[in-house]
Amino acid sequence: MGNTPSNPPPEGGADKDKKDQQPQKKKWEPPLPTRVGKKKRRGPSSASKLPAVYPTTRCRLKLLKMERIKDYLLLEEEFVQNQERLKPEATREEKNEEDRSRVDDLRGSPMAVGTMEEIIDDDHAIISTSSGPESYVSIMSYVDKDLLEPGCQVLLHHKTQSIVGVLHDDADPLVSIMKLDKAPTESYADIGGLEQQIQEIKESVELPLTHPELYEEMGIKPPKGVILYGVPGTGKTLLAKAVANQTSATFLRVVGSELIQKYLGDGPKLVREMFRVAEEHAPSIVFIDEIDAIGTKRYDSTSGGEREIQRTMLELLNQLDGFDTRGDVKVIMATNRIESLDPALIRPGRIDRKIEFPLPDVKTKRHIFRYAASFVKTRFLISIIYRLHTSRMSLSDDVDLEEFVTTKDDLSGADIKAVCTEAGLLALRERRMRVTKADFTTAREKVGSVFETLQTFAHVSVGTVSEERGHARRSLLVVCISQLPCFLLSSSLNSSLCTILAVILAYVGKIEFTL
Amino acid sequence: MAKPTEFEISVRSEDPKKKKEKPEDAEKDKEEGSSKLLKDVKAKDGKEEDGEDLSEEDLQLKNELEMLVERLKEPNTELYRPALETLRTLIRTSTSSMTSVPKPLKFLRPHYPDLQALYETWPISEEKSLFADILSVLAMTYSDTQPRGTLRYRLLSASLRPADSPLADPGTWGHEYVRHLAAELGDEYTIREQEDVNAEVPATEDSAEKVPEVKLPGTVEDLRALGKQCAVFLLGHNAEPDAVDLMEELEIVEEIAQLVDENTYGRVCQYMIRCVNLLPPPDDISFLRTAHTIYVQHQKFPEALALAIRLGSPDLIREDFNAPGNPLMKRQLAFLLARAQIPLEWLHPQTEDADGDAETDVEEFPEDLLECLSNSRLSTHFREFGKELGVAEAKSLEDVYKSHLENTRSGATSNVDSARGNLAGTFVNAFVNAGFGNDKLMVEADEGNSWIYKNKDHGMMSAAASLGLSLLWDTDVGLSHVDKYTYSAEEHIKAGALLATGILNTGVRTEADAALALLGEFTENKSVPLKTSAIMGLGLAYAGSHREDLLASLLPHVADDTVSMEISSLAALALGFIFVGSENGEVTGAILQTLMDKFDRDDKSLDEKWARFMALGLGLIYLGLQDSSDATIETLKAIDHPISKTAQILVEACSFAGTGNVLKVQAMLHHCDEHIDTTGADKDKDKAKDGKEKEETKDEKRDDTFQSFAVLAVALIAMGEDIGAEMSLRQFNHLMHYGEPVIRKAVPLAIGLVSTSNPQLPILDTLSKYSHDNDLAVALNAIFAMGLVGAGTNNARLAQMLRQLAGYYYKEPDCLFMVRIAQGLVHMGKGTIGLNPFFSDRSIMSRPAVAGLLATITAFTDAKGFVLDKYHWMLYFLVTAMYPRFLITLDEELNNIPVTVRVGQAVDVVGQAGKPRTISGFQTHQTPVRLGTTDRSELATEEYIPFAHVLEGFVILQKNPGWEKEDKMEV
Repeated sequence: MGNTPSNPPPEGGADKDKKDQQPQKKKWEPPLPTRVGKKKRRGPSSASKLPAVYPTTRCRLKLLKMERIKDYLLLEEEFVQNQERLKPEATREEKNEEDRSRVDDLRGSPMAVGTMEEIIDDDHAIISTSSGPESYVSIMSYVDKDLLEPGCQVLLHHKTQSIVGVLHDDADPLVSIMKLDKAPTESYADIGGLEQQIQEIKESVELPLTHPELYEEMGIKPPKGVILYGVPGTGKTLLAKAVANQTSATFLRVVGSELIQKYLGDGPKLVREMFRVAEEHAPSIVFIDEIDAIGTKRYDSTSGGEREIQRTMLELLNQLDGFDTRGDVKVIMATNRIESLDPALIRPGRIDRKIEFPLPDVKTKRHIFRYAASFVKTRFLISIIYRLHTSRMSLSDDVDLEEFVTTKDDLSGADIKAVCTEAGLLALRERRMRVTKADFTTAREKVGSVFETLQTFAHVSVGTVSEERGHARRSLLVVCISQLPCFLLSSSLNSSLCTILAVILAYVGKIEFTL
Repeated sequence: MAKPTEFEISVRSEDPKKKKEKPEDAEKDKEEGSSKLLKDVKAKDGKEEDGEDLSEEDLQLKNELEMLVERLKEPNTELYRPALETLRTLIRTSTSSMTSVPKPLKFLRPHYPDLQALYETWPISEEKSLFADILSVLAMTYSDTQPRGTLRYRLLSASLRPADSPLADPGTWGHEYVRHLAAELGDEYTIREQEDVNAEVPATEDSAEKVPEVKLPGTVEDLRALGKQCAVFLLGHNAEPDAVDLMEELEIVEEIAQLVDENTYGRVCQYMIRCVNLLPPPDDISFLRTAHTIYVQHQKFPEALALAIRLGSPDLIREDFNAPGNPLMKRQLAFLLARAQIPLEWLHPQTEDADGDAETDVEEFPEDLLECLSNSRLSTHFREFGKELGVAEAKSLEDVYKSHLENTRSGATSNVDSARGNLAGTFVNAFVNAGFGNDKLMVEADEGNSWIYKNKDHGMMSAAASLGLSLLWDTDVGLSHVDKYTYSAEEHIKAGALLATGILNTGVRTEADAALALLGEFTENKSVPLKTSAIMGLGLAYAGSHREDLLASLLPHVADDTVSMEISSLAALALGFIFVGSENGEVTGAILQTLMDKFDRDDKSLDEKWARFMALGLGLIYLGLQDSSDATIETLKAIDHPISKTAQILVEACSFAGTGNVLKVQAMLHHCDEHIDTTGADKDKDKAKDGKEKEETKDEKRDDTFQSFAVLAVALIAMGEDIGAEMSLRQFNHLMHYGEPVIRKAVPLAIGLVSTSNPQLPILDTLSKYSHDNDLAVALNAIFAMGLVGAGTNNARLAQMLRQLAGYYYKEPDCLFMVRIAQGLVHMGKGTIGLNPFFSDRSIMSRPAVAGLLATITAFTDAKGFVLDKYHWMLYFLVTAMYPRFLITLDEELNNIPVTVRVGQAVDVVGQAGKPRTISGFQTHQTPVRLGTTDRSELATEEYIPFAHVLEGFVILQKNPGWEKEDKMEV
């Protein structure tokens, strides 16, 4: 029907004829909005999609439903196998071949490539080609309309320019980036100490997904999410990883800076999309690391970029506690600087639980030392020292970990691991099979100086990005800088960069800054 | 001290049942991990281990626990009891947390084997029982190596306990313990079951494990008693699904009725009902019965009655109906019964021996109740409803076709023969204006100007019959309208009028029994059209009524071998309609006998296209009765004729209609893939040797009709169960892909059957694709299926698709005819009448409705032979499935009262904790209101309390006595 573009829209003529005959009533009806060509919800296509199974809690009903689906799939398999046996593909192939060649004929060659701009109705669309202007063309009936969406690449007939095919890639950027296909290997067992924190996160994130009835019994609504905060290296991300490892729920992870996008509106959209994906795959857990990248206190700003970031946060606020109810979606946020966050973000009802990660106490330190030590191995000299799990560090007799454990330094978990690794590397350098106490002492000193190194590095990186003012880079910077405990402005920066930096720094609340 | 080997145990992956224990395992992991480390770091010194990771109070606890354990090992029996008591307290106070392993368990874990050994040495005493109790808790930590330890010690503890001291409630040990116990109970029970089966051959492994179990007095009864205790605990803690699951595993689900209380029964029942469709046969009935008992216990009669209808048990229905004393409640139940078209006779006490008794009972029903029961006000209410919605005005054909929107090529004027067009017009007019009794073409037309005279011959019959549809349910005025045509000289008009009489009585009952009075005599008429239409009129009018007195007028025609196959088949079908799902022996016997006689006589009539209706009639008798059709199927197997195969399939499919039985679906699919080679070859041969070798051609042809019924059977079985319905669509996809023409032809019909009046986009897309198929038969059926799927929805997208098809097929009279019919179906009752055979929140299958749908669809398995030929009136079979999709709220005097209701998409909330919303995306309306197939409604005010549990159809409301008007308070 109406595959040729030359075919004029026939409704007009027909309509007029009819009108002449019976002029009394001919209400114009608006054409139905076309269904194809919308930005589609990502996910498996409807043909291969299996029915959704409710309830989502673990119970026999769910098992029965799943089994029913399985039974049907087995039936399908059996049927298809029987058919293939009775009537192999080969015989059908001929017919397919014929059809295909006919389609090829229709498609013609050569073909041109264009971009779909807009879909007008089921059969027509506006396309643009690299060579010339945009044109109104028809869509061939055999084109899979489900694949068409604005902005996609289409194949065009060389003469009529009608759309004869769709070029598409399967990449599903959003979900694939955020969704965690492979669970991290870190489990709760890998966390030293933090028992209190583990319990709290389990109560507010895992338990509501697995045992909603307990909350019902208690008559409370389970928390919507938690925020993990504490000085760097105290295991916030590690705990989140452990949660991901433990749960069978969909785990989406995103870093705050990822939500800052180049174009206006993209950031909030990303947030929306993320929560939509989360809801689609419910039960799910959304983990937003380094939330301070977008979640800092709001203030009057003249910069469009600032406002955009704030809007992104506002969208986040809405998603957390907005008009739509989010069912089985839990949010975990992590930050080093909870005091700089917007109070609206962490008010109860959005993020109900704030879990603090203190610097490890003696007991925890001991655990981490042992743990980290277990990960460094001296037997193999080459490559990938970090990944070896099977053996433990061989320590010489003079090493007394207690000594390191009880030192008064403010060591975070990450620092301790670094110390162990460093010590192992030192031993390695001298081809010793055992790590001595001296190694540890040196390593300890070295790691202690890491902060200065980091600062130097920051200076350098600021210098290299001096002329670069893209949002993305800046957001990177924000994250970068937010990792530093303190920051001193170097005088060598030019003034415009200073402004940017000032904003950023004030933003992340690192220093008081005046120009 | 734990042996090192204990720590090497890898945590195996658990079955889903034990998923909840995973955090524990992780904890264990952690423990193992850390202690492993420790051992290696300080390999030599085991003692040091204790000091690991312990805070002050932990250490203290640990020491205390160890001290207690030591004390138990000492010979001083005096100290046992206090030690055990302390242990118990310590454990109990810390099992509250769900998220981490209780500390005492963690510390006691290494001592478990010792304690076990110790336990064995103790003499039987009360202390031992206490000890066993504690061991039972500790066994949780060893569930991976010593399965069912918890249960074992629990049972031991119970057995050791003196009779007078009550058994401690397992709940006191916390949630995790109960869950654990529940899981182990299930495991244990299945193991015992298996053992019973192969008692003689004990597996070596199993017996080793089982030795202690066998010794202890833990009989199955004990298990069940314990199970009940757990279930009580679970019920009390909002874990109704778990409780039901546990009871089901122990096969004592019936007893849950005694355990539920006011707060839990609702959710328990909902959960159980939702399970029914997914359970294997004996269980599903017991679930339904149990839920029914619970509802009766709690005086929820509408719910109970709904289940009784589902069970199809006259006794239960009668009990439920007669149980409530409130006359309003009774009326509400009467409405439900009327919707389900339950035979009135079922409601009378079954005292057949005393005839007088039964008669007095008939009188017992008061007038108003009888009115509700017989649906006699349906027509009035429906018309009022139409007025309220502003659709009372009759629609013309052009209003439906909207041909000005059609995509016809200008200049290509339709060369369709006008007879076909007019015939289509007849049906469209009938379907669209059904029930309103004011259509322009028939009812309102002047005598001589009636649309009837725009048709010829058999067209006139359908035209006259359309009057019945237009005046549907209107037994007063309707009959007088039809009456004038019954005296027509034209045979076809007369036949049509007879059919119309039958049609307009469908679903309503009158005291006058007009249908029987008017039609009865014509069943003996010489004229074939008159005879068939009288028979079918009776069939439609009394569908589902199980009226024995109709046997006399219809049964002889089935067995009569002097009449044509047409008449005897239709008589069988009519009997099928009337006795649908009744398992009536007389009818079955007659039909079977006829089939056998005809076969014995080598009667060619069995090869006729009509035979399928006879088979269908037989099938309908068993609709929804599941296994009770076995004998009939066996008998059918004795007949060595292709019709037998068709009949077997039909009977089987009908018996399992709406059950979602996967095994039956599988069997049906097997029917579809067998003979595929031969039929394929046959088809070719068919074409090749058209004229000659007729015998052989027929032989080969035999094979394939049953396949199309097998396809329909898949749909019939799968419908009514959401998952099956959705999955069956995938099967159809494959069938379409691999199938022979005969299968392909049936696939669209099957899709239409599965999702009647439920137009969902993927289905519409699929059907739209099929409607352009190269094989016109497929396209034709797909178009009809589009009509079925959209029936009574006014779906705009579907309407647009059909208009486009009208343009596409403007040269194909058959297809165009079907497009028109489909358009009529889509706008059926101007969007107020649906065809979906499931009602009461899509839980109850209306048997007459399924019968009607199935009969119509059967006619389409050979569309060329029936609908496109002279028998288009078969489309009127749909009438039994037609029912307005409305919600009308009535006050205590059964007058309409407008109330605000929220209408939205139904959400499946079964098994969810709390009180989640049952509808989504709702809008607030005033009643009366129209509900879509997947819609659900709830009252928006608290002002009234409904009697019905599902707001659908007629709902009687009562003022809420506790309601206060909010506005007043503001003033």
